[in-house]
Amino acid sequence: MGLEKISGVFERIIPLADVLVAIAVGFVASGALMEVGGYNALEAFRSLFEYSFLDTYYLSSTLSFAAPIMLTALTFAVGVRAGVFNIGAEGQLYLGALGAVLVAAFHLPGFLYFPLGLALGVGFAVASAAVAGILKAKRGVNEVVSTIMLNWIAFWIVEYMRTYQIADPHDPSKTIPVPPQARLPLLISGTELSAAIIIAIAFVIATYYILWHTVIGYEIRATGLNPDAARYAGIRVDRSILASFIVGGVAAGLAGFLEVTGRPPHYAITTGLSNLLGLGFDGITVSLMGLNHPLAIIPASIFVAALKVGARGMQIEAGVPLEMVKAVQGIIIISLAAPGLIRTIQARRRAKLVEEVKPVAG
Amino acid sequence: MATQTTKIIIAVIVLVVVAAIAIYAMQKGAQTPTTTASPAPATETETAPQTTPTETEAEAAPAEIPKKIAVVYDIGGRGDLSFNDMAYLGASRAAKDFGLELVEVQSTTEADYLPNLRSLAKSKEYLVIIAVGFLMTDAVKQVADEYPDQLFAIIDGYVPDKPNVLSILFKEHEGSALVGALAAMVAHHYGCKAVGVVLGMEIPVLYKFEAGYYWGIRYGEQVYEQKTGKTVEPLQVLWTYTGAFNDPARGKTATEAQLEQGACVVYNVAGATGLGIFEAVEEAAKSQGKDMGPPFAIGVDSDQDWIKPGFIIASMMKRVDVGVYTAVKRALEYRQGKIDKYGGILELGLKEGGVGVSKLEDLETFLSIAEQAGRKVNKEEIMAKVKKMRESIPAWIWEEVDKLAEQLKTNQDIEVYGLKFSDIAKMIPLDANEIKQIRAKLGVPEG
Repeated sequence: MGLEKISGVFERIIPLADVLVAIAVGFVASGALMEVGGYNALEAFRSLFEYSFLDTYYLSSTLSFAAPIMLTALTFAVGVRAGVFNIGAEGQLYLGALGAVLVAAFHLPGFLYFPLGLALGVGFAVASAAVAGILKAKRGVNEVVSTIMLNWIAFWIVEYMRTYQIADPHDPSKTIPVPPQARLPLLISGTELSAAIIIAIAFVIATYYILWHTVIGYEIRATGLNPDAARYAGIRVDRSILASFIVGGVAAGLAGFLEVTGRPPHYAITTGLSNLLGLGFDGITVSLMGLNHPLAIIPASIFVAALKVGARGMQIEAGVPLEMVKAVQGIIIISLAAPGLIRTIQARRRAKLVEEVKPVAG
Repeated sequence: MATQTTKIIIAVIVLVVVAAIAIYAMQKGAQTPTTTASPAPATETETAPQTTPTETEAEAAPAEIPKKIAVVYDIGGRGDLSFNDMAYLGASRAAKDFGLELVEVQSTTEADYLPNLRSLAKSKEYLVIIAVGFLMTDAVKQVADEYPDQLFAIIDGYVPDKPNVLSILFKEHEGSALVGALAAMVAHHYGCKAVGVVLGMEIPVLYKFEAGYYWGIRYGEQVYEQKTGKTVEPLQVLWTYTGAFNDPARGKTATEAQLEQGACVVYNVAGATGLGIFEAVEEAAKSQGKDMGPPFAIGVDSDQDWIKPGFIIASMMKRVDVGVYTAVKRALEYRQGKIDKYGGILELGLKEGGVGVSKLEDLETFLSIAEQAGRKVNKEEIMAKVKKMRESIPAWIWEEVDKLAEQLKTNQDIEVYGLKFSDIAKMIPLDANEIKQIRAKLGVPEG
């Protein structure tokens, strides 16, 4: 009994051990790279840490950057739980942001901008996600291919709208801004930390609850573990897959909407979507780091955000140029995402194996 | 079980190591400020031995002028062969001349502008924080209010009425007049019927490019007639607003239309849309079997001659380096008490060296600093092509452009088609009606 309990604790600690080893490998390897490049690695890591956590402003900056990638990570994680590689968060995030600024083009009573923008943004994102979901669930179209294509479609739709339809007449480098009534309040004035972080965390926890404590969540996870077994057990696999895309679409759309309504000073979409670019793809690494578990995504997103925010410190204090900073970020992120990636691929292979064995068994 | 135990042992070791490194780094960090700060009071006590060290330290602190300057680049970053590289050039020169330390901060996304500026301002260690590019306007406005004692400068952004923000703007109409004159002379030299300009979105800021360019064209024609003794048909002037600053495809279509109507020089006033102008011009020349223009394009904002070497006759440069240098100098003079006002609008024109037509030397400097920033450029080849192109135009044309530049520095009352250059300068900022009047006076048909 006692031994079993200890073994159970060990079981839970193992992923943590992986993460710690990965962190150590990432920091040692990137530190070595900086030393070879002629920069002081210890000073760089110290300033990375200082500029991401050791001050109210820096900490709030980190949290503000964590909010969108937490949600886009959720998009990927829910997909993996259902056994699909949904990498459409990037495009769905653009569409969510579009909804937020699109409503500003109309004269409406002030209180309507927020709910309408939210509905529109999330609606666009879900529509895009549903296309990939239906193609996958009904026709077996590879979701990696379809979501990549949908990302580009979303990019050009939003870029077209930004350039020709909803450009700010005073500054055509960005869209018209979100009306003041629809902007999220800042949690601490003088920082970039808005209520977006609260909404993001709440949404992540809610999704965790759905996945682990509701029937549809159970069905999604069962589909991901073994679609054939799930089908045999009477679970409608296509419905589960579609549901995972829809939940993912809501998360990514919300991420885009919150980023635009919550981040000063622009509250708009800027040239080439440059204030949104990459937030969806960052989510994939965050999700892998968090082993595709919604609750683990929260600390993982804060970690990745800290790397981004701390990049400032590395440049300002340690004089490390941005190119080197990016290399360091890349090494740390890859080593941290590796365990999750390996697990995900192994799980996929196992599922494939089951599929291949099936005819023999049947 | 064995592997699990090993894993846990490894985990514990890693934790300890990471914690140890973190503690070491923290201690080191805590030490750094004290070590750098200690020499300062030491020298103070040497120069003023009468007072106690603690007093001097307290007195010296507020009066001391910060020894660092910071440049925040926009998302283009270093190596962009444009504003950011030029800003670096100016800042590094200023740092060297005034004995300051230069801190550079790049921005990964637009979302970085505000935290970059805030983090720098918060430390209160900088004489001046320079934001490169108008994209940072909103962020500068906000941080300037939050840190009223910190001096800021913004390049090409308009932030009036803040005592701690210096907005560095450029007199684009002056530079445009020079390239207009160049365009007209080159066009007549090749016997072309028209010259053109392709613009971005129709916003009032662009009217001054238009006005200066048209005036320059008419001026260039007069000079051409005087110089060659020939009477020439006035050039047809074509202009197109594409409605966008980042749509190269539209830029290309608009340029192709102008080339078809006989234009052989097209001025880019369209940001990234201009890349399409360059492409159209290059294709048109190459389809006639030529490896350089005509037709030519004219670059804008920075020295764009390298983009399509041999097809861009010259560029209307905003000298961001001069702007940055000026901002640092002004901040220093303000802190030294030599001037009592820092903020406001500073417009740099020909007289201040703030605008100009690109020269071969500019290109060389430019390619060198881009190389330093790690960008791969084929310097020799580009230089050779651009040199060959420039030499294919009679030297007197280039001299006349330089002459006009010298003249406009001192006397802007030069008149063509009954319109003095100073009249245009006085009308700025131009509105839609005024540009119509200017077009009419200078014989430019409405679209």
